[in-house]
Amino acid sequence: MAHPPCKLACPILTDVREYVQLIAERRFDEAFATIRRQNPLPRVCGRICTHPCETACKRGQIEEPIAIAALKRFASDGPWKNQYKPVLPDKPSGHKVAVIGSGPAGLAAAHDLALLGHHVTIFEALPVLGGMLRVGVPEYRLPKNVLDEEIQAIVDLGIEIKTGVRIGAQIKLSDLFEQGYKAVFVAIGAHKDRKLGIAGEDQFEGVISAVSFLRAVNQGQNPKETKKAAVIGGGNTAIDSARCLLRMGAESVHIVYRRSRDEMPAAQEEIEEAIHEGVQIAYLTSPLKILGEDGKVSALKCIKNELGEPDASGRRSPKPVPGTEFTLDVDMVIAAIGQAPDSSLVADELGLTERRERIIVEGPYTLVTTRPGVFAGGDAVTGPATVVEAISAGKRAALSIDHYLKGESIPAIEPAKDVEKVSLARSVVEKTRKFPRCKKISLPADQRLRGFKEVESVFSEDLATKEALRCLHCYLGARIDAEKCVSCLTCVRVCPLGIPTTSKMGEITIDPFACQACGVCALECPVRAIDISLDPRTEIAQDIKKAMSTSQHSGPVIVGFFDLHGNFDSSDVENLRQDYPHVLPVMVFGLRRIDTSDILKAFECGADGVLLARCPPESDPFPEATDRVKRRMAHARALVEALGLDGGRLEICDMPEQGLVQKELIDGLIQRIKEPGQVRSE
Amino acid sequence: MITLEQKKFEEIEKMTKGYSRLLVLGCETCSAMSFAGGQRQVEELASAIRMAQKTSGQEGEVLEDAIARQCEPEFVDLIRDKLAGCDAVLSLACGAGVQLLSERFPDKVILPGCNTTFLGVTEELGVWSERCAGCGNCILDKTAGLCPIARCSKQLLNGPCGGSMNGKCEISKDVDCVWQLIIDRLARLNRLEMLEEIFPVKDWSPAGHGGPRKMVREDLKS
Repeated sequence: MAHPPCKLACPILTDVREYVQLIAERRFDEAFATIRRQNPLPRVCGRICTHPCETACKRGQIEEPIAIAALKRFASDGPWKNQYKPVLPDKPSGHKVAVIGSGPAGLAAAHDLALLGHHVTIFEALPVLGGMLRVGVPEYRLPKNVLDEEIQAIVDLGIEIKTGVRIGAQIKLSDLFEQGYKAVFVAIGAHKDRKLGIAGEDQFEGVISAVSFLRAVNQGQNPKETKKAAVIGGGNTAIDSARCLLRMGAESVHIVYRRSRDEMPAAQEEIEEAIHEGVQIAYLTSPLKILGEDGKVSALKCIKNELGEPDASGRRSPKPVPGTEFTLDVDMVIAAIGQAPDSSLVADELGLTERRERIIVEGPYTLVTTRPGVFAGGDAVTGPATVVEAISAGKRAALSIDHYLKGESIPAIEPAKDVEKVSLARSVVEKTRKFPRCKKISLPADQRLRGFKEVESVFSEDLATKEALRCLHCYLGARIDAEKCVSCLTCVRVCPLGIPTTSKMGEITIDPFACQACGVCALECPVRAIDISLDPRTEIAQDIKKAMSTSQHSGPVIVGFFDLHGNFDSSDVENLRQDYPHVLPVMVFGLRRIDTSDILKAFECGADGVLLARCPPESDPFPEATDRVKRRMAHARALVEALGLDGGRLEICDMPEQGLVQKELIDGLIQRIKEPGQVRSE
Repeated sequence: MITLEQKKFEEIEKMTKGYSRLLVLGCETCSAMSFAGGQRQVEELASAIRMAQKTSGQEGEVLEDAIARQCEPEFVDLIRDKLAGCDAVLSLACGAGVQLLSERFPDKVILPGCNTTFLGVTEELGVWSERCAGCGNCILDKTAGLCPIARCSKQLLNGPCGGSMNGKCEISKDVDCVWQLIIDRLARLNRLEMLEEIFPVKDWSPAGHGGPRKMVREDLKS
């Protein structure tokens, strides 16, 4: 089966669709396990991942993508996270591996290597673990205690930690091999600043690089009191610096960026938040010179630009406009024009030419360096990139190292991903019901600037399930069995989105990407040639049997089919179980999936009554199918009555605006089962 | 297609009573397309029969199966093994399928679960209507492509009759007068002069009035 676009877009191929679905099913612990199995830093990614999955999300073609990152955070922050226990192999491999650097690449590699049975030691030059996550990302985006807990869970796998050790200085790579390490993963990140290269840069006090500034701030220091500051650059580091400055009491902060907002490399939402908090951005502006008084910065001389021809990066290059010079009165200038890896300490041993900043590897999948047993990845190889790319490198390095330690050849080619960017037909977009993306919850701007309190809050259970239910279930929809299909055209006729098509000879095609798994065709197909992967028919049958097998009481047994699109939370399900232990819930993505034969099956298995609870119309993604569901239930009731049973044993109702089901409805159903022949209320 | 409808459950329950091992056999072409006897209806009906048996305290087993077409001996023979252990088959095919089962399995009780209704078209999902009576001598070239044998209540060849009112047949206001439709269509095609040709008395022998019909193609038969 093809991968959904969210998964394909993720550098570590996270099973996004799976965990979003589990959240929709209120199975939060399983959602977390799904995330955590693939990603050792889920709470970090839930906060600061650049979420390429959201960019790829099919919902984005309808109105807005699923808030995947926020859902990841919800699944990873909840109390159920502590139930997850990674499984270490019974027998250690006996191999020692050194990981240099404790950023996301190093941590991910250490985690995966430990799970593969290797003994891992992390060497970290700084006194604290986390790399850029610790000293680059500000507290208000990633609280330190969250990072601490994630790192601790990794360290708890039995990883040895050596902080304050700069490999290449005190200890050479060759020394590590002498100490018994069989492989080394170099993940030293990109912590070296780039210089502005303008006059005054080295002359006055108050010019500082963003990396140094953020490192100091993140370690609880204030490098310099400032009233008016300028930050030069347009990336996330510039935004981070500017937002930190505001929190440290700066009265005005200007970001000076040479191109326009469209070209700005920082994440859109970060730019918006910065502006919201009061950061001013001077677009199309380049710094010319730093001016000073008494040895201290006093102003920044700038010039306005216009955009010219596209450069090598494809972005239009800025050209200064003569005569537009102006000065900004500032007492501090932060240079945030990019970082580079500092590979000088390992350059000799890895055979790097001195000018090179990045460590060279044989390929992006093997991460093999020129020195046998030494692997490298993350920002140190790619230059500054995203946290999930670093995690991806760490995971790949772990695999390569594992192959190497076992004496196996390292697969050189990345397994082919079936990349396809598919756009939905306009008719499908128009027919798909719109559900607005749940808005993130942020602190009001005035409360933010009083400290470094985290700006964004986690979704409530209510919001998270609502958001997860927006998923369109790419590739989980209708699958047609050509051998069984008799070209009756029922699917073509019933699909609410008009997706199935037929050839002249009756060959039916259902686009697996466009299908949204509503289930109507699978149900109505007279020859059962169609099934859907979301709630397949066999699973519904099994769920009924499973529910019946859990029944252990004397009262009337009721199988209750509940639509997951209802506005209920996990406590409502728990309350139902407690108050009505003889009501056995079967949760489905819409009652469209329930056929007469499923209802009969429940009775056949020994149920005394069947309850079907439809979601409120406002949350139903396919309200046009409601009438079809009602007519089918009328048919089912007629058949139940033909069997000599009281038709009142079958109850179809609407779920309340909030909650799972009204108690009176269950009580009424129980009453009718106990005293058959009573007139139904409906 | 041949359209079918499933018999009322009460009738099915009555005829299937007393069999200890009953096979409910679907027919996956016309019957399935009529929503009378495809795999889905087999599941539903078998479940209902099982429950009815349980309610009446009858011990028995109800098996489910379906084949592509019960009117073809090769398909029918594929269930021979499954049928061996059964004492009756409830066939959800048209009358032709039921009878072929009877012929192939002379020692088994074969029961009809459906009524065969007509040769027709799907107007929309769930709505079918009759178009052809299988009279064995097609005259649609002379009647603007609309059949008075299948669609005129009196099967008139030189209609309409005096019961045609505002385009509807006198038997029901829901039934179109096909002769009105024929005239309207001939007018649209500018062929009204065709009505001047009088149909002679119809020879009904190809329609089955000359006894059961059989068709042999010498070039094909073995």
